[in-house]
Amino acid sequence: MTPTSIGLTLADLEACFEGVIPSIISTADADGLPNISYLSHVAVVDDRHVALSNQFFAKTAANIRLNPHAMLLLVDARNSAQYRLELVFAHSLEAGPLFEHIALQIDASSAQVGMAGIMKLRNLDVFRVVSIEAIPSQVQTAELPRSKRNRLIGAARIAEAIAAETDADGIIDAMLEGLRTEFGFAHGLLLQLDGERNQLVAIGSMGYVPSGIGSEIPVDEGVIGAAAAGARLVKLSDMSRIRRFGAAVRDSSADENRTRAIPLPGMPDAMSQIAVPLIAAGLVRGVLFLESRDRIAFTGEDEAALSVIARQTAMALALSEKLSLEAEPQGLVRIQSPASEKTVQVVHHRFDDSVFINGDYVIKGVAGRLLASMLEQHQQSGRLEFTNREIRLDAVLKLPDFKDNLETRLLLLRRRLDEKRLPIRLTRLGRGRIGLFVEGRLLLSKDLA
Amino acid sequence: MFGDEIAGFIESPVMQIIGSSNAARQPEIGRAVGAWASYGGDTIDLVTSAWQWPETVANLRENGKIAVTFARPSDYVSYQLKGQATIRPAEPHEVERSSQYIVAIVSTQMRLGMLPELIMPVLSNRDPMLITMRVASVFVQTPGSRAGNRIWSTTP
Repeated sequence: MTPTSIGLTLADLEACFEGVIPSIISTADADGLPNISYLSHVAVVDDRHVALSNQFFAKTAANIRLNPHAMLLLVDARNSAQYRLELVFAHSLEAGPLFEHIALQIDASSAQVGMAGIMKLRNLDVFRVVSIEAIPSQVQTAELPRSKRNRLIGAARIAEAIAAETDADGIIDAMLEGLRTEFGFAHGLLLQLDGERNQLVAIGSMGYVPSGIGSEIPVDEGVIGAAAAGARLVKLSDMSRIRRFGAAVRDSSADENRTRAIPLPGMPDAMSQIAVPLIAAGLVRGVLFLESRDRIAFTGEDEAALSVIARQTAMALALSEKLSLEAEPQGLVRIQSPASEKTVQVVHHRFDDSVFINGDYVIKGVAGRLLASMLEQHQQSGRLEFTNREIRLDAVLKLPDFKDNLETRLLLLRRRLDEKRLPIRLTRLGRGRIGLFVEGRLLLSKDLA
Repeated sequence: MFGDEIAGFIESPVMQIIGSSNAARQPEIGRAVGAWASYGGDTIDLVTSAWQWPETVANLRENGKIAVTFARPSDYVSYQLKGQATIRPAEPHEVERSSQYIVAIVSTQMRLGMLPELIMPVLSNRDPMLITMRVASVFVQTPGSRAGNRIWSTTP
């Protein structure tokens, strides 16, 4: 028997399972006495089964054991079209891969309705779908603008562009540019996990002014932190009722100079957000974050495509990190800093390795330490070229807890200096080689305060 | 009489869903669009659409077994009322009261950020029917530790 009477399948109801509009279940006891309640979560098990979470409603659970028939009402989150699903109770689940998978989905969407923790999944009731019928509506439900873009082809094009790149710069730009042109997403961040500090640092940005390159968010905070901590995709599809996490968008470099922290960029009126972990060789290496002013901007197909792209990016970045330690033979490019009589004042605060150039906060932490070290060598010997290999050796000597991600730390530093239009810049001279530009006379000072 | 607090709650702009079942004990779902205490508070009147929810109307005609859950959109406070119902076509003044409810619930949902075009498809009083329900018991259904507690009943 097919699970539909008029041609509808569970796959057609994808937007009913976003956890945006509550579903309704009705059951009846052995005497036919009805019970009706809202349900927080309904998940598709396969093409003819759904699973319902039943955290609070003991009566529903009791009824389906006396009388296995149930009726489910689902509402399409995009246009409020209603569907009536006739169900028969199949079995209950308290563990196993399906249970774990759905428990994670519930954790993610519970935060959405302000019920994080309260909605802890205890068991799942799995039902067979006997029929699916559309409920008539007096008002014409809005036509659904289905994306004409094929996500598989788009993902392949983005993967191709990423694979053609040799360094972290190119990989990140190819990915973000691909998401913009192929998928039409306009606002996003690529964040790298700094495992030692338990922070995610933005190393790529699109659609935000200022870009927020260098901004940080703790692992476990908001959807970005949750994606990193749980090594899983986190999606919010309708934020109209959710208080936005994180601080309001601040845009003041004076503030940066005081707090020594770069504000995380964000869209104050975002309706949808998605955070996809970057995983390679079994490790979370970062998070791809996208947001949109549209409700349900990210579909199930987007989830699949973004997961593939995030993993491809993670692998490419990990490989570029390794390759960057084998510097290309020196090319013909000779760098020379432009002549200028201006003084460039750099202060390196050792307590947090923060670096200020002409009074402007640049960066802190390992990236700050790397910049200070290059500038110190420049001041001593006039050096303008460095290889990743020697920077790494230097870093390992001076920073006992330094592990990896040199390439992306240098990238972060380079982008930050560019964005702030500072008289000190870094440039990539080839694989594993970096050039230093100092426009003026360097005056480097260190303080212990 | 189930108390002024519950009567006040069901008359406020809350979502209203109806459970019923047929002779084969097949459960059914419908929605109500407007509810109020009637006959001095002994019963509740509700308006529903026979056009949108024909199975619910058929079940109530057949056996009158009914469960109605009222849920406040802003904070999920919910009560389920169970009892026995009769059903007949609604009078014009009852339809008017239902239309006033629709205006109130749409306004409430819009204040919570819902777009009106996403609220209207689930609300209809086309082919309006009036359900008169004699309440036998009232249960808390707000998500949380008290969910399922019976707070009022005609039988001890």
